[in-house]
Amino acid sequence: MAPSNPAFHAINRRSLLMGGCAVTLASVAAPAFAATQQSNGRKVIVVILRGAMDGMSLLPKIDDPNIHEYRAPLIDAAARPLDDGFALHSAFASLAGMYKAGEAAFAPATAGPYRERSHFEAQDLLESGAVKTVTPDGWLNRALQRAPAAYSAVSIGPMQPLIVRGKAQVASWSPAVLPEASDDTLNRLMDLYQDDLLLKTSLTEALGANKVAGDGGAMSGMGGGRAGPGQYVPMLQAAGKFLAEPDGPEIAVVSLDGWDTHAGQAPALQQRFTQFDAGLKALKDTMGESWKKTALVAVSEFGRTVRVNGAQGTDHGTAGTVLLAGGAIKGGRMFGDWPTLKPAALFENRDLAPANDARSVFKGVLREQLGWDAADLDRIVFPDSAGARPMANLV
Amino acid sequence: MSLLQGAIAANRFGLGARPGEILAASSDPRGWLKAQIRPDAALIPADGLMTVEQVFTERREAYANMSPDDLAKLGGKRKAAADPSMQTSDGSRPEPGGQNPALANIPQEVRKEIQKEARQGLQQEIAARSRHAAATPDPFAERWVRFWSNHFTVAARNPQLIGIVGPFERDVIRAHAFGSFAGLLGASTFHPTMLVYLDANRSIGPSTQVAERRKLGLNENLAREVLELHTMGVDTGYTQADVIEFAKALTGWTVGGQARPGGGQNQQKLARLAGRRRGGGQGGGLIQVALDLQDHPGETVFVEPFHEPGSRKILGKTYSVQGKQQAAAVLDDLARSPATAHHIATKLARHFVADDPPPAAVAKLQAVFLETHGDLSALARTVVDLDEAWVEAPAKFKTPEELLVSVSRAAGAQAAFGRDQRAVYVSLAQQPFGAPSPAGWPDIASAWSGADAVMKRLEWANAVSQRMSAMGSPEDFLDRALGPMAGEKTRQGVSRAESAEQGFTLALMSPEFQRR
Repeated sequence: MAPSNPAFHAINRRSLLMGGCAVTLASVAAPAFAATQQSNGRKVIVVILRGAMDGMSLLPKIDDPNIHEYRAPLIDAAARPLDDGFALHSAFASLAGMYKAGEAAFAPATAGPYRERSHFEAQDLLESGAVKTVTPDGWLNRALQRAPAAYSAVSIGPMQPLIVRGKAQVASWSPAVLPEASDDTLNRLMDLYQDDLLLKTSLTEALGANKVAGDGGAMSGMGGGRAGPGQYVPMLQAAGKFLAEPDGPEIAVVSLDGWDTHAGQAPALQQRFTQFDAGLKALKDTMGESWKKTALVAVSEFGRTVRVNGAQGTDHGTAGTVLLAGGAIKGGRMFGDWPTLKPAALFENRDLAPANDARSVFKGVLREQLGWDAADLDRIVFPDSAGARPMANLV
Repeated sequence: MSLLQGAIAANRFGLGARPGEILAASSDPRGWLKAQIRPDAALIPADGLMTVEQVFTERREAYANMSPDDLAKLGGKRKAAADPSMQTSDGSRPEPGGQNPALANIPQEVRKEIQKEARQGLQQEIAARSRHAAATPDPFAERWVRFWSNHFTVAARNPQLIGIVGPFERDVIRAHAFGSFAGLLGASTFHPTMLVYLDANRSIGPSTQVAERRKLGLNENLAREVLELHTMGVDTGYTQADVIEFAKALTGWTVGGQARPGGGQNQQKLARLAGRRRGGGQGGGLIQVALDLQDHPGETVFVEPFHEPGSRKILGKTYSVQGKQQAAAVLDDLARSPATAHHIATKLARHFVADDPPPAAVAKLQAVFLETHGDLSALARTVVDLDEAWVEAPAKFKTPEELLVSVSRAAGAQAAFGRDQRAVYVSLAQQPFGAPSPAGWPDIASAWSGADAVMKRLEWANAVSQRMSAMGSPEDFLDRALGPMAGEKTRQGVSRAESAEQGFTLALMSPEFQRR
């Protein structure tokens, strides 16, 4: 953060406030971001694509003989061929470059253990990390509680997603649009919240987060307090900014909405993919050197039906495509198995069958990138998940 | 007479106290609330607001008035469009509704004009609704409306929906708020806005000739969400097969006059074709269907040739009733299902008692739902009589919209919003008619109380307090808005503030005012 930045003074005032409150805050929790040597600068970003992103549009397996029969109207003719018969949607110019440079990879045909088709239940389970019954806390929060070092995390987006909810403190941030309150007001408010754990915790975290985001005002022009396509770029950029700070958190979670394409899917995805690609580029550019030690995982709650529906869209399916990106990823390749689109291979005669477990990808990244204990991952972070072995050699 | 009970009535059950309201409610708090359970109390003046029919008719006129040049340009673009449904030129099937790819391909000026009008319409709807919430003497009725509006969420997620989400709330939710749940469910499911929002307007019975000839098919979206969100709730025993069968039962229900560019010319062409082929087999029949649809812009229409023929088997029951009556018969059974009773009872208890609702409160509501066949007035009375909802400590963290409404009631809308109402909603992440998914807005504190959300509230409160600093003292504001619900610590903090402005910020951000 350069001192010439107009937001710099505000930042310093906030830092001072944190210092001034140190005595009262100590009982709440550690400061939002503790510098950690143990991570060696390695970072993890989890991107949740809400609404069921159509993995087969992102990465069609164009040499699968059945895909053209099922999907003809939705296959992007300009998709770029990658490896193993897969092609990347043409909207992903930057991502294609990352793949070529060995900084991106895919795990097609991946799903969590959930086999129904409710968005909301699927997202809850994806974030909860549980197999059947949603836990009140998210897997990333439980992971932080069992972290091998004092790791910290930031959530980017207007609402606190389940994945980060729980006992461990997680900072959160979204672009600001209104003027800030004075430090004196903040002090008095903190006093008012002494007996109110909910508000005290949130305000404390917010004060920590705001000193880093800095020029949020510059981003507010993007409009919308939600996480739709117009917000993909500023949100991913903000994640990059937090992570790249000298004592920034190790982990960021970004929620991107707007993937439920029941109708008119091709133009809708063209727009979303374009924004997502621009966001990935902005993230990489913002992170600078840090990008080299970063592993990003982008997942959706499930995939979409293999067949096109009556409205040139697709309905809720099962397996989807997981994207891995970042300099730490052993990229330029496909992970996991492909179950094929042969009629007999489809799940319930309508969906791509899951060949890989999303939890294996998460566990692989957590373990290899930030050194989590295997037994903790199997039992606590993702309960009853010993069967889903961490995917090896991702990083 | 209890001031505290009056404050609870006005804040927890109502929308936040207006000046004098706590006192007025105090003599008989439960009676004050029950007196609001009247069908007329759920209504809103609709002066100057448009109906779905008007929105569709205006859009059709805008399309019809496009110049031949524009249409020629459009022809070229449409051929290049990825969506093959755009390439049909005989106009013999209705325009797809959901994401409205057509709008992306029409000339920019026309598109801008249409979108501008739709946005203005939506802003008028939001303004009318905000004004009503700020002033209504029946705030419990209005909270009840908003609860159901969130239960049956429709959102302005694309240009076609922007103009018709407001009418949905008035036609469906307000009109049926104190009727029966079955009536509300039916009105919602068959309303043009819901049909468009959940893609049922373009779902075609897979074994119909239309589906075969036009490569069209079933869309499961509405069927699934009715089961999962509107009635039984997730994991209550229905299967994927039930979803598909219910979706088939819903086929045929669509919306008339889903205008396409150059609609005027199309209509003339259609009329000529229909005349030539009168009685001439399937093609002529479909042209007649298209003509009939064009005659009913913005109305729900049942189109027999789109409906999947045959009987249905759903949740183990066979529905031999055919055609138009089929979906209604399924809905009637869903409205009576014990799973639905439990789902609704849980959501009501969560809204009025606590995020994690006490089982006893859920059980009471569930029993009344089943006994009265979903009589919404009886349910509203039961909510008022839940002792669990009258505890002193406010258990519910206000959503941003609740927060804004409560300030509007205590201090006026100008104070709550300043000049740019929309910007405030956006910044606090809860745009009216903008829920992120068909599940509606979350009704639990943890979704709204994250660090960033609290910071945004503080930034907003800071701006509000600047507007309020000339409006008397913050202590009086606390008395008017919260009465005895404001605790000693908050009173002290507010009275010791260094300025009126700071006092208002502290009052607005106090734990008591942030909750209800």
